[in-house]
Amino acid sequence: MIDLKAETHSLLANFELLKGLLSTYGPEAWQALRERAFRSYSEFGIPTLKDEEFKYISLRALEEGRFKPAYGATVDRYQVEQTTLGSVDAITVVFVNGEYAPELSSAHALPAGVFIGSLKDGLGIYEEEVLAKLGTIANLKGKLGSSNDERFVDLNTAYLSEGALVYLPSGVSLERPIHLLYLTSANHGPLVSHPRTLVILGENSDAKLLETYLGMEGVYFTNAVTEVSMGPNAILEHTKIQLEQADSIHIANISVHQAEQSMYTSNNIAFGGKIARNDINVWLDGEHTETWLNGASVGLDHQVIDNHTRIDHAKPNCNSFEVYKAILGDHAAGVFNGKIFVYEDAQKTDAKQTNQAILLSNTASINTKPQLEIFADDVKCTHGATVGQLREESMFYLRSRGIPKAEAQALLVFAFAAEVLAKVTIPGVREILEKLLFEKLELAQQAS
Amino acid sequence: MLEIKNLHARVEDKEILKGINLTVNAGEVHAIMGPNGSGKSTLASVIAGKSGYEVTEGTVELDGKDVLELNPEDRAAEGIFLAFQYPVEIPGVTNTYFLRAALNNIRKHRGVPELSMTEFMKHIKSKVQLMEMENSLLSRSVNEGFSGGEKKRNEIFQMAVLEPRLAILDETDSGLDIDALKTVANGVNTLRSPERGILVVTHYQRLLNYIVPDFVHILMEGRIVKSGGKELAFELEEKGYGFIEEELASKA
Repeated sequence: MIDLKAETHSLLANFELLKGLLSTYGPEAWQALRERAFRSYSEFGIPTLKDEEFKYISLRALEEGRFKPAYGATVDRYQVEQTTLGSVDAITVVFVNGEYAPELSSAHALPAGVFIGSLKDGLGIYEEEVLAKLGTIANLKGKLGSSNDERFVDLNTAYLSEGALVYLPSGVSLERPIHLLYLTSANHGPLVSHPRTLVILGENSDAKLLETYLGMEGVYFTNAVTEVSMGPNAILEHTKIQLEQADSIHIANISVHQAEQSMYTSNNIAFGGKIARNDINVWLDGEHTETWLNGASVGLDHQVIDNHTRIDHAKPNCNSFEVYKAILGDHAAGVFNGKIFVYEDAQKTDAKQTNQAILLSNTASINTKPQLEIFADDVKCTHGATVGQLREESMFYLRSRGIPKAEAQALLVFAFAAEVLAKVTIPGVREILEKLLFEKLELAQQAS
Repeated sequence: MLEIKNLHARVEDKEILKGINLTVNAGEVHAIMGPNGSGKSTLASVIAGKSGYEVTEGTVELDGKDVLELNPEDRAAEGIFLAFQYPVEIPGVTNTYFLRAALNNIRKHRGVPELSMTEFMKHIKSKVQLMEMENSLLSRSVNEGFSGGEKKRNEIFQMAVLEPRLAILDETDSGLDIDALKTVANGVNTLRSPERGILVVTHYQRLLNYIVPDFVHILMEGRIVKSGGKELAFELEEKGYGFIEEELASKA
């Protein structure tokens, strides 16, 4: 939808405002990249419910909200440590309202050639590598499917400036986890930030990455894009935790490019935000890769949590496993759309997809849509979706042992999501997530 | 202790129990035997409070208290324990957490102090040994990925931990090899005590070689048609359920 009415919405208007400033940032080639992305975004504007890929998520709040471009805010180390994920033992890079905060980030001795820090600093060392990858991974050009929608990637690219770079050269196995912590404190009115993360993993490298979006205050819109490039045999455990403020809008696009024999695990945890949308696109561009997409989301109140995943099996002999779970209470609405494309070439593909939801109230809802498009003939693809209440027989089992109904119910709901949280192996993080889950479910119980 | 009088129960339109009378005194072990579809498992489920069964007539009392009035968790708190024929897998809940929650709820109900984690671990240590269980099973999710034998063993382990007044074993022998059967029986025998009643529901006499009952009742078509001592089980094993049918027919 072209939005050229008198009241041009803030996401477009900001561009005119920032254009000059943005052009001073990064290599010259990026100016053209921004302009192109901006034009592409402007052509379509904010999606409506008529757009296939945004059918169940109303983004009118984006149109109505007057979001100012974000600039840093004063947050001190103590405040960071007080947040739920602020003291995870990791190589930590902190951003406040999209702006890199070196004083809050941790310095660690890194193996030779490894870079973990801001995109700006990273450009000074790995400009060629960054230019080669940035914008090419979060890109569906030439891929299957007619309803590809990349407008929020374009919007992010239009405002390309600050961001994070993780670079591991070949053969490096990083013991300590990496934590990219995106904090937002909108204490001076609604703001918008466009965090950009680029992860480049060389051949045979191995890392654990935690990507956290944590709201501290206010009303805001986070529009994040993360690109991951995995070399042959690389291994990555990528945990994304979304804990935005209750009045915020969070839209994130994660794109992954896997070379042969690489192994990618995504743990996608969404607890926060008023409107939360997450797209994960994985492109399997080498044989014998393995992909795990695990998702857990909990929505209460009027939260909308929309997860779209897409796996492109472009080469033979690749395995992908996907488990997405949602717990929805009050008036919350969940969406799951899982696309799996098996290309003509991709014989011996093995893809399994499961989506499960528990509805805690009569007013909560989930829309789930598996979408398998298979163009090869020798493949194994399965999908299954269950929506419902807790299993009667599990309830009886617990109660027959003396556990009261309400407690048994809470235990089973907790366990349902905890199974996904258990996939996170970064020390201490699983426990934090379990505690958050527990607290959130207690709120659900009070509300019911 | 357990007093069942004229119990009738149905599932939807089908009457399954057609007037059960049974008294189990503390310290006694009773076996309920019967062919498939005779109502054995229904009887066990009705006593434990599983939903889906409608009691149309009769009473079940434990120490004079009306059991049918109570929800399943209160029945457990009053001392009823059912070892399931098909134990349920509960991913995401560890055995330890589950059992401690169960035990502490029962203790709370009885007005005795709850156990701390340390006290609880001390309490279950000997029971783990009794059931010859791997310690690692404690930190695994309840029954998840357990073999058939491990599941049944876990049921008796839970029984040992919760120390019920009345234990009902629903086809605990099904799917067990001889070694597992011996371990399970040994666990049950250790729990025999003057304060506790045990009801063993089984199709075959095999388990009763190891858990020797004081009384045997034959259940057919929703009624107890014959009661006797342990020798009745041997007779049944030898002659099959057919002989009872013939006996009944000749009486009629």
